[in-house]
Amino acid sequence: MIARVWGARGSLSAPGPATVEYGGNTSCVELELADGTTLILDAGSGIRELGQRLLEREHGELHICLTHLHLDHVEGLGFFAPLWRAGWKLRFWGPPSTTATLRERVSRYLSPPLFPIGLSEAPAEAVFEDVPREPWRVGSAVVEAQSVEHRGPTLGYRIEEEGHVLAYLPDHEPYLTAALDDDPQWVSGWALAAGADILFHDSQYTDEEYPQRLGWGHSSVAHAAAFARASQVRQLAMFHHDPMRSDRELEALHDEVAESLHNDQEQPLIAREGLEIALGTDRHRGA
Amino acid sequence: MERKQPDLVLIVARSFATKLATPTLIIDARGDLVYFNDAAAEVLGSSYLDLGELQASHWQELFAPRTLDEEPMTPEQTPGGIALLERRPVHDSFAFRGLDGREREITVTALPLYSRPDEIVGVMSIFWELPAAP
Repeated sequence: MIARVWGARGSLSAPGPATVEYGGNTSCVELELADGTTLILDAGSGIRELGQRLLEREHGELHICLTHLHLDHVEGLGFFAPLWRAGWKLRFWGPPSTTATLRERVSRYLSPPLFPIGLSEAPAEAVFEDVPREPWRVGSAVVEAQSVEHRGPTLGYRIEEEGHVLAYLPDHEPYLTAALDDDPQWVSGWALAAGADILFHDSQYTDEEYPQRLGWGHSSVAHAAAFARASQVRQLAMFHHDPMRSDRELEALHDEVAESLHNDQEQPLIAREGLEIALGTDRHRGA
Repeated sequence: MERKQPDLVLIVARSFATKLATPTLIIDARGDLVYFNDAAAEVLGSSYLDLGELQASHWQELFAPRTLDEEPMTPEQTPGGIALLERRPVHDSFAFRGLDGREREITVTALPLYSRPDEIVGVMSIFWELPAAP
């Protein structure tokens, strides 16, 4: 499995000279599975550029796992080229709701007045499904989704292939559910992340910012590190960077996180656009 | 690594209960006791830290609930049991002996916790001790 980051920013796109190194696009991670299947985690603005690259193929099937439907996780869909080309099949997975289907909820954004063209006009075949209760197979991987602590119905994902595990919890405030050094089974998201090779986790706030934003659904970097320790992940990738955070500020936060992880855990990463992680080869590639 | 953990609804309910000053007890979908808060400990006569998680049969046996008319109650007849089995909220009173040996009468509101419309993951019971009869 190869993971490629196309967007790691949280809440709002943040282009500009202060964010050029880690990028300003919102959440999108592409997973290239061993059998060639493409699985995409979230459809933030980063998915636009991914879509352009996918057009190198004439058509195909894509699996898109949405953690939730806040705009920064779906705003790229309107500009995702395969959705607007006949011959493509897009299979969306997302959180269940008691009030509307996943298609209906996504259509609220992809329809006037928020967007000029309706989802029903998209030439691609788009299939929308609530995530199953139990793990399910996508290509050569097994995908597991569970609800996690955030504002509104929100999922985290665990993708396992050939004994390697990637966990993706971009919007997550586990601190609200239990003390992070408490019995881990009572910490939101723990079972998804436990023992993962790489954990992409919400690291939006500084410790100073967090008390003013308690309950907004995101983690401080200290809480992200505590969650990584409790989950005994091999490596933490700081993700969902605050739109106000500059590259230099991110690096300072990274140093704080690095000091607080267990000795047997690898140095944390700052997720950045272009980062490529090949699980199983211990190689971080890409710009 | 064993990765099993309760549903998020149960996790959030437990977190909510830890912050409540009202006695609150949570059972899972099997009826097993998974948590009660400090306020509940005052009424039950033991702390959660001392008692820990208990299987349904065990904690019912410990507290030996009975009606206000002194008739023994099965687990299925308690408000929590009814809420779990019949999947509906229940409000009722009953008596039991606390683990400190003191007899108590309580009023309970038991609410089934659903994670999806067709999936019950447990019951949250909020209760009040009734004043002793004069």
